[in-house]
Amino acid sequence: MTKGKQGSVMVVGGGIAGIQAALDAANSGFYVYLVEKSPGIGGVMAQLDKTFPTNDCSM
Amino acid sequence: MPLNFKNRDDDMEKEIFEPRIIAFMCNWCTYGAADLAGVNRMQYPPNIRPIRVMCSATVSPHHILRGFQSGADGILVGG
Amino acid sequence: MDVDKCIACGTCADKCPQKVDDEYNERLQKRKAIYVPYPQTVPLKYAIDPEHCIFIKKGKCGACEKFCPSGAINFKDMEKEITLKVGSIILAPGFKSFDPSQHDTYGYANLANVITAIEFERILSATGPCMGHLVLPTEFNKPHPTGPKKIAWLQCVGSRDMNRCDNGYCSSICCMYAVKQSLMAKDHSATPLDCAIFYMDIRTQGKDFDRYYENAKKKGVRFIRSRIHSIAPVVGTDGLLLRYVEEKGASVEESFDMVILSTGIEMHPDTITLSKRLGIDLDHYHFVQSDSFHPVATSVPGIYACGAFTGPKDIPQSVMEASAAACSATERLAEVRDTQTKKIETIPERDVSREPIRVGVFVCNCGINIGGVVNVKEVVKYAMSLPNVVYVEENLFTCSQDTQDKMTELINEKGLNRVVVAACTPRTHEVLFQETLINAGLNKYLFEMANIRNHDSWVHANDPDAATKKAKDLVRMAVAKACLLSPLQEMGLPVTKSALVIGGGIAGMTAALSLARQGYPVHLLEKAESLGGHAKRLYQTFKGESIASFLEDLIREVKIEDRITVHMNTTIAHVDGFIGNFNTEIETTSGKKRIEHGVAILACGAKEYQPKEYLYGEHASVMTNLDLDDLLKIEDPRIKQAHNVAFIQCVGSRDETHPYCSKVCCTHSIKNALEIKKRNPEANIHIFYRDIRTYGVREDLYREARKQGILFFRYEPNEKPIVRHDGDSVQIAFKDHVLDRTLSIHVDILCLATAIVSYHDQGLAQSFKVPLDSDGWFLEAHQKLRPVDFANDGVFVCGMAHYPKPIEESIAQAQAAASRALTVLTMDSIKVGGVTAHIESDLCSGCLACLNVCPFKAITFNHRKGVAEVNQALCKGCGACIAACPSEAAVLMGFNNKQLYAQIKAAFAA
Repeated sequence: MTKGKQGSVMVVGGGIAGIQAALDAANSGFYVYLVEKSPGIGGVMAQLDKTFPTNDCSM
Repeated sequence: MPLNFKNRDDDMEKEIFEPRIIAFMCNWCTYGAADLAGVNRMQYPPNIRPIRVMCSATVSPHHILRGFQSGADGILVGG
Repeated sequence: MDVDKCIACGTCADKCPQKVDDEYNERLQKRKAIYVPYPQTVPLKYAIDPEHCIFIKKGKCGACEKFCPSGAINFKDMEKEITLKVGSIILAPGFKSFDPSQHDTYGYANLANVITAIEFERILSATGPCMGHLVLPTEFNKPHPTGPKKIAWLQCVGSRDMNRCDNGYCSSICCMYAVKQSLMAKDHSATPLDCAIFYMDIRTQGKDFDRYYENAKKKGVRFIRSRIHSIAPVVGTDGLLLRYVEEKGASVEESFDMVILSTGIEMHPDTITLSKRLGIDLDHYHFVQSDSFHPVATSVPGIYACGAFTGPKDIPQSVMEASAAACSATERLAEVRDTQTKKIETIPERDVSREPIRVGVFVCNCGINIGGVVNVKEVVKYAMSLPNVVYVEENLFTCSQDTQDKMTELINEKGLNRVVVAACTPRTHEVLFQETLINAGLNKYLFEMANIRNHDSWVHANDPDAATKKAKDLVRMAVAKACLLSPLQEMGLPVTKSALVIGGGIAGMTAALSLARQGYPVHLLEKAESLGGHAKRLYQTFKGESIASFLEDLIREVKIEDRITVHMNTTIAHVDGFIGNFNTEIETTSGKKRIEHGVAILACGAKEYQPKEYLYGEHASVMTNLDLDDLLKIEDPRIKQAHNVAFIQCVGSRDETHPYCSKVCCTHSIKNALEIKKRNPEANIHIFYRDIRTYGVREDLYREARKQGILFFRYEPNEKPIVRHDGDSVQIAFKDHVLDRTLSIHVDILCLATAIVSYHDQGLAQSFKVPLDSDGWFLEAHQKLRPVDFANDGVFVCGMAHYPKPIEESIAQAQAAASRALTVLTMDSIKVGGVTAHIESDLCSGCLACLNVCPFKAITFNHRKGVAEVNQALCKGCGACIAACPSEAAVLMGFNNKQLYAQIKAAFAA
């Protein structure tokens, strides 16, 4: 069954969820293609000033 | 009370006093913030000499005293 | 744009004549047609916006191409289609913020001071158009803005609304972000600021969210339970008028300077199109149709989903689902692991211990970023005069590939054994240059950077002389440190390729199965005599799936899985070791034994609060939701015979003893109420609540319950319903807020929605060196970004041990914990060493100061030698022990005191 299986994963969307999924897949031995339509990753989270409930800087 | 630098050096009274500051910057926050200040082209006086440390918790009184010994007028610990 | 050539100097954007609305700042300011979305963008490379580029649109201009110092811009470049073969796909397309322009009664389109929450985020942000100053949109261009004095937030704009839009769901995040924004706004305001939040139910159901809400109330944020219909301008001013009905029924008019619409989230039309193309089933709100037991699966095998795409959720939940998706997506691919990744070749390291110090300095112009301000030639000349410096070179771009190749040659040719690069920041470029040292056969720690761009030329652009002087000082400091650098070794410790999972409930079993299916042996510990945990008593999920049948399957799968060893009636006696190398003593009925494991997952669950109030245990009609689930399962005749049924919410939750929301009880009660209604349509059902927290698509259940005539009565914590014996039934007396009088009803079944409380398992926490919070939940490493990790590497948490949560969230978190554990188990070895602390035993007096300050519990006391010792695998290199040590016995490798003193001494030695 191994034949034809690809040891790679495509992640669509470079927001916080996409980034985390890409990191975990890559760090467990799979080649990852992270696809994002804008010129930078980060998504909506990068626009936020602070995050609740810790008031940490979103960046 | 404002700091009084008057009796520091005789030369000092003749020219405008420019303090010399050593800044111990935590790699994970202050150092990065200072990097970003650059990215945003924020302008500030050139009196600071930064020293990168891995955490502000590593800065001990020894470091601060050595800083004053080497001629610093002020020390900033950022973390 | 050639991203390998772009050095992100910004010259192109500077020269670009085309101004465009900046989406990152919600169009509150302009950017150029060639741009980086924001200063911290990854990758930090400029991009051309083809929609607005004059050259692409009209064929003229090309200013950026002309001025780019590194030749990165190529207008001949065309869009390309690339075909990739992949094993599986994870969709994380995110969401779009609801556009309130369609609500004409809010006047968002024409009232300047009515803005959306995401726009307000940009206003509050230090990197936003107002530099973090609280400014009214009508004052944007005024030199001395006064800022708002009164701000109102309107909740549920584009959420829980089937009239003005089709978003019947709760967006789950708006209550919390509105509370946060109100607190931040108060913080940012120079003068006292009045903040009012108009809401229907405050939904702060997450970990520590209720405390945050209570804190906001204490800080004077006003919470007004009213849904605002319209916003009117105050004639002759920029003010905004809100009309609302107070709880007692009085009509009030109040004006505000600014109104923020707490807009919900919805799916982007592009996401819906993409799903259709891929054949993925979406629900009636366009979220992924998934079942509770497979939270990240889609209807197409091999395609997984996470984040807001599977339903409205906050950041921690998105991060958990992302990890869960990574784990699920690679499960089928376990046998082809490591087939497409590349191994790094190692080059033998040169022994420099007997060589005289030979420092090489590379000074970067960074195009004109440094060279345009700092006199680089002068810095180069100065560097040459410094002790031990044998070679200095000026580069246009030190980071470019050709310079790296040249640097590798020069290191060997000139016999350099310390390298200093004076350029940008080590935070982005240290790794790159260290790579070059490795390629040249030098230990990567023989490297130091002088930050003459971010900390110098960019911030002293108007004072070239001072910038040049500072650059020299920085180079001198770097060289002084470099002379004292010594090679640091990183050691690889082996990884025990097996896991220990503690807790045989749904979370523990899910995590164990995930790891086993990825090919790793698992020891599953359960303290009771059977698997299943509290889920054994649950009746159905909020989507109506049977939990019993799922649980049966899950237990069977665990039992037949060869790689899982189940240990029943077992507890933890003692834990030794660290990431990759744990050695745990377990205690079973047959005695103690030791297990070696590389990772541990804590999934030890929580328990139901046993109420002392409302006649629980004293009257047969009073029960908890779990008791009611039992009755529903066995089809107890009391369900069909009941005339009146009541639920009391928040029993033991959101009070002084348990100041948190148990998250699942509102949904559980409403689901059970609907089930009773289905079996016994004549029953009158009353639900006494404080806030109904049917977050996400659970809101459909709440709407359905109201439609079916289930009655909801709100109570205040200081006016709780009073329950009395009344023969076979119980009497409930309660205050009706609309009528403003006390009413009473008699019910045959009174169900208490009891809290979920932690085991406060301090012993387990101490064994694994992980913390508990004040409510007894395991405290993760970072509430947002590392929701299943601990600061102590190799230990993970999932399920109710972390916080109360419904089944689908427990499963997602369990898969996430497995995913994080896999990143350890798949490693060849654990790298230890590098920048870590070391204690010189000759100097150590055994005072334990270091042991007490170490945040990672990496220091132990060697009783035999009478000295403290650092475990290299646990040390994170913060150096807190260095400051604590009175005899300078503690040393941080790569940042030792000698090196720091040299830097300090060199700072003003010119």
